[in-house]
Amino acid sequence: MIALGCIALGAVLLMLLSAMPKVRMEHCSVFAFVTLLIGLILTLASFGELFTFFPLPKFFHKMLIVDSYSVYFDAIILSGALVTSLIGTHYFQAKRHFKKEFFSLFLFSVFGMMLLVHASELLSAFIALEIASLSLYVMIGFQKVHDKRVEASFQYLVLGSLAGIFFLLGSAFVYAGLGTTILGEMGNRLDTLMGKDVSLVIIGATLILATFLFKISAFPFQNWTIDVYDGSSLPVSAFMAATFKVAIFGFILRLMLVDFDPIRDTWDTLFIVVIIATLLYGSFLAIIQKSLKRMLAASSIVHTGYLLIAFVSIGYAGESAASSIIYYLVAYFLSAMGAFGLISYIAADEHVRVTYEDFRGFAHVHPYMAAMLSVFMLSLAGIPSTIGFVGKFYIFTGAIEAGYTFLAVCGVVATFVSVYYYFKLIALMYFYPACDSDWKDVPSLKGITPLTIGLIALAIIWGGIGNTFIAYFPGVDFLIDTARLSYMSLFIK
Amino acid sequence: MGILSWIIFLPMAVACVLLVLPVGAKATRNGAFGVSLIIFALAFYVHEHFVPSAQMQFYEQYDWIKSYGIAYRVGVDGFSLIVLMLIATLLPSAYLLLWHNERSKSYWISMLFIQSGISGTLFSLDLFLFYFFWEAMLLPVFMIIGLFGSGNRVFSTLKITVYTIMGSLFMFVSILYLGVSHYYEFGAWSFALSDLVRISSLTQAQEMFLFAGFMIAFAIKIPLFPFHSWLLETYSTSPTGGVFLLSSIMAKLGVYALVRFTMPLFPDLFVAYARFFIGLGIFGLIYFGIAAIVQDNIKKMLAYSSASHLGLITAGVFSLNIQGLTGSAFLIVAHAIATGGLFLLVGVMQRHLGIRPLSALGGIAKRAPWFSVYFAIMLFCTVGIPGTNGFVAELLIVLGIFHYNPYFGVLAALTVLVAASYMFWVFQKAILVQSGNDVSHMRDLSFHEIVGLFPLAFLIVAMGVYPDFFLAKITPTLHYYLDTILHVGANA
Repeated sequence: MIALGCIALGAVLLMLLSAMPKVRMEHCSVFAFVTLLIGLILTLASFGELFTFFPLPKFFHKMLIVDSYSVYFDAIILSGALVTSLIGTHYFQAKRHFKKEFFSLFLFSVFGMMLLVHASELLSAFIALEIASLSLYVMIGFQKVHDKRVEASFQYLVLGSLAGIFFLLGSAFVYAGLGTTILGEMGNRLDTLMGKDVSLVIIGATLILATFLFKISAFPFQNWTIDVYDGSSLPVSAFMAATFKVAIFGFILRLMLVDFDPIRDTWDTLFIVVIIATLLYGSFLAIIQKSLKRMLAASSIVHTGYLLIAFVSIGYAGESAASSIIYYLVAYFLSAMGAFGLISYIAADEHVRVTYEDFRGFAHVHPYMAAMLSVFMLSLAGIPSTIGFVGKFYIFTGAIEAGYTFLAVCGVVATFVSVYYYFKLIALMYFYPACDSDWKDVPSLKGITPLTIGLIALAIIWGGIGNTFIAYFPGVDFLIDTARLSYMSLFIK
Repeated sequence: MGILSWIIFLPMAVACVLLVLPVGAKATRNGAFGVSLIIFALAFYVHEHFVPSAQMQFYEQYDWIKSYGIAYRVGVDGFSLIVLMLIATLLPSAYLLLWHNERSKSYWISMLFIQSGISGTLFSLDLFLFYFFWEAMLLPVFMIIGLFGSGNRVFSTLKITVYTIMGSLFMFVSILYLGVSHYYEFGAWSFALSDLVRISSLTQAQEMFLFAGFMIAFAIKIPLFPFHSWLLETYSTSPTGGVFLLSSIMAKLGVYALVRFTMPLFPDLFVAYARFFIGLGIFGLIYFGIAAIVQDNIKKMLAYSSASHLGLITAGVFSLNIQGLTGSAFLIVAHAIATGGLFLLVGVMQRHLGIRPLSALGGIAKRAPWFSVYFAIMLFCTVGIPGTNGFVAELLIVLGIFHYNPYFGVLAALTVLVAASYMFWVFQKAILVQSGNDVSHMRDLSFHEIVGLFPLAFLIVAMGVYPDFFLAKITPTLHYYLDTILHVGANA
């Protein structure tokens, strides 16, 4: 909670500071970084404990909640933001068009995301969602290279607002059906109504789910994804793909697990169709892309599909499925952050485009960067010895536990297809002789950005191998255990 | 850490160190060779201290992902022991033969990683761990073919990768399903083989699907008949070391995993579908044999002949009696030595003469006597001339199949002879007869290579003359498989 306040304060201060002519962009970047770091430290102080409470009940009236669950998500979001700012350092400096306000907006969007996972009431959730989204709309437009940037920003703005309206309408329906919008109480009311007609609630919840599906870019709401990711600058794409998705899942999981638990099986069939369509269509989109950035955008749709497999399994294998979502979010977050981050580092100079073909023979010129990029690709593809593999293991196990073996097989087929488009990059980087001079513009490995990316690569391998031999060091077990702990905190009465 | 962990992780650790250190290709090669010698010593130690019984020995267990009951469980029994000895003997020899071939550092690093992966797969007694090594092993293979192959290597690399990953992913689902079934039946998570074999709640249909999941993965790796389309391209584009690993080690691991995992997990299905798989094996024997005859490239021909023998090995495994199973275990070793040796020799020849069709060879015996002698020994073993271990193995398998079904037995006996006899023709044409082709660039084997191949030739003869010595340690395990796991009795 203090962390939340700290980020909000930082954002406002930064907004005021950036109006001063003496403050330069580098200062703003450092300020944002420090704010995020303080927030993360404050969050980690209560990480891994089991608790839940409503902060300042007189003032907020149960609109916000603080529990192990939200703290866990806070930690992920804040680390995501931190990593984004670390990775972006080089990019922001190389591309001169980033203004000082960018960092203020960045902090505001982080604040919105954190607020979202703390939200314990539908309207405060909506406000949080809009804070995060509005900041992102502007952040997407913050670049000058891509001629599609306005289109991307505008497309996301229009469609996102439309999705937001669904959320509002849904909340209205839920209120009409239950007489409350406070999480927890909604669930209790719903329990007492069991056996009676709850179609208003179902309609309302379906509309809310539609917003959710839009934001995580599941089928049939995926069309904006590729254009928007492609149109925005790379660090922003990374931030959206990895961090924003975490926050959205954070809220919707809480809603589904706690409140709509009694009526959750209503959507099972719908979700199965959505999952299969998402996996199929996402894989198809990813295969046909020539640009790496667009491929990563399309593959993020496929990863949404995997996450939804776990999401639908929650009904029958609650604990393992829910913690598998949380774990997979971390796994995806690390791999996507690394991939986007490294590509943004390589492409910081505008002469380098980022299509597959551009990476022909890359490994012979820049062996370390190629190795890191390979690690990220392997993790995204879910090859053993990376964290992506363990994440997939949890998700598929949860699905089979819930009786959805068929969905696990679908996921496996999508994984198999994904091997093609991820390995294609590795093959291009390693198996061709280096091309003439295209890589002169690539900066050498110096500074904070490559260091962060290297650490992410190590974390990915560590997460995949775990703590077999080195005791007392957090590894695979630690992450999944804390995920389970945070899941448990949802059910403390 | 126990001795098995050392065998698994030493190559990997050395590879990581060498990768970071600024050393050249030569130093890396020497390091890799040194490691392979150490591994041989360790394996020999394991062999000497292995008590001939069906028990798992040198067992080690460390927790890994506790919440899912996944642990690092490794152990060795008679069957894995013989494969371990095989690998430990083959690799130093292979390194000596590749000594001048590959001048790149990453080649040797990949070899070291592959060695770790192989040992890990071999010792795993936890299905999650097994899958981990099985799949991770693919990455260095991917690198070695893609980086050092010839021809259309990128395409064939992607093809073998996608192909094998497809197979293993089905196996992955099967493994997960078994884990979940164990959880529902016993209330606790576990992926240990010894726990999963106790599952009794599966219906016939479920078992069928799971069995199929495992079989597809293994059939692709071996390869069995309809899953072989990666074989030709991969073998002809791979560098010598890659082909050697694929044919004499990875393919054998497929058969090994078949016995180690599918047999105890699905004993009923194993027995019920034995006829089908023997048929498939014999069909592969004939089909690949014919395919081998028509090849004009010696590498492609060896690729098919290798697949043909693997069909025979598979048929022997499914013959469900001690002769067939022992024969298969024996042929795994014999064939690995012989084909491995042949591929390495062909690699030496290619280094001198370049890649040539068979019709452009001839008269090599005169220029390279050592080469020809070794070539002949390996060849005799492949064909199964009495006095070589290939003869003993093939005889046992044919006997085993004969026990299972006389018609199959007759068919196998006939085709073993026919399908292998083309090798003589190749030997005659490529090595013995003067054909007027220019082979003046051919050099005889160097000292390294002569020393490297000696253990292989020695084993071929020793195992052929005195097989009992080599069978003593594995027979109890094989009896255990048949009597206790399959309940079919030793001589049924």
